[in-house]
Amino acid sequence: MIWKLRPLAGRLAFVCLCASAAAAVAPLTPEEMSAAARIDGLSIPMPGEFMASLNKLGKLDWTKKFRIPIGTSYTSRPQMALNLGGLIADGYIAIEAEDSQQVKNIGRDVLTLSTALGVSKDVQARGGSIIGFAEHSQWDQLKEELEATQNEVKQSMTEAKDQDLVTLVTVGGWLRGMEVISGHIAAHYTETGGKLLRQPGIINFLNQRLEQLPDKIKDDASVKTVKKKMTDLEKLIAFPLDKAPTADEVKELNKLTADAVKEISKKQK
Amino acid sequence: MKRLLLTLVCALFTAAALHAASDGEVAARRTALDIAGAFTNDGFKLRDGSWAGNFAPGKPKLLQVNLYAGNQYWFTLGATPPAKKVLITIFDETGKAVESDPFQDTSVAAAGFSPQNSGTFFIKVEIVDGAAADFCLVYSYK
Repeated sequence: MIWKLRPLAGRLAFVCLCASAAAAVAPLTPEEMSAAARIDGLSIPMPGEFMASLNKLGKLDWTKKFRIPIGTSYTSRPQMALNLGGLIADGYIAIEAEDSQQVKNIGRDVLTLSTALGVSKDVQARGGSIIGFAEHSQWDQLKEELEATQNEVKQSMTEAKDQDLVTLVTVGGWLRGMEVISGHIAAHYTETGGKLLRQPGIINFLNQRLEQLPDKIKDDASVKTVKKKMTDLEKLIAFPLDKAPTADEVKELNKLTADAVKEISKKQK
Repeated sequence: MKRLLLTLVCALFTAAALHAASDGEVAARRTALDIAGAFTNDGFKLRDGSWAGNFAPGKPKLLQVNLYAGNQYWFTLGATPPAKKVLITIFDETGKAVESDPFQDTSVAAAGFSPQNSGTFFIKVEIVDGAAADFCLVYSYK
């Protein structure tokens, strides 16, 4: 009996040790928290991470989250960057849906937009890998490859002194992910689901980045739309920790993100 | 095994390309990936990005992240040999340390955590014993 209880006792002692260790650690000061590093590569979660948490609320038919293919012949570079981010989020949706053909189609569109933006040939090679993994239904590898592709696109932009476009790729991807997930939560509302949408740190970080863009980029019609919608979104996403958004608030959030995604995918006149 | 190897090679390749990382940062990243690789065998997805730099005793570094309720996370820190013992602590958005599953082995440390609420968290990395060193933090989720 004692031997049977030993692992349990050990676990309890371990948990108590962790709890006491956490309680003994001095809390962070507001100054320390505001000075914390925030980096695009880790501080902003990938859409796949958000989707993983949503998958735990119940089985989802991700094929219903596909959208009509967007165009890839934009003339404005900021708009291309926003849509490239959105396409990468679409890639995650296609992977969750385990739809090879959809992944391949999106992979090609990602390549088209990346090429139009002048990213390096290394990124184009990644596009080839995505298509290869999709043909063999290697879903886990595809998620890794997609994130690696996004990072290489951003790295290539940074090297080409297009750092501002990196922000727009991130914003475009985040908006598309938020559109799909808030749409699902709005349609199947629960308080637990609603609480998943709470992302005050991210929206604040992205809005600061958008504010720092050069005037030339801020004047682009697609960027103007995004900036306005992102400001409105901050009020809805930064809700208190102990409060879930109402079903109506989730619907409003979904409408804002859906409108933003639709606007940025429209061809500018 | 093949998948793990591919992940590690891709991560190392991307890491090298992401910025002109110092030799120390590359070594620290390799150390972190050795441990993080074990979590991928358990179904955790390793983020392609990483956070690297240098730290000194008494001068911890802090990173802000956004985590989702329902997901499980492992944060893994690798450091170069001048750091003999390193530590990861996770704090919530109020600045309070949260309970986590610790792992520690000389210049490597990891912390496992499952948030109850989605939102902002802070990851503190520090040297408990040893001298100034290069570090690299990666994270995995499922």
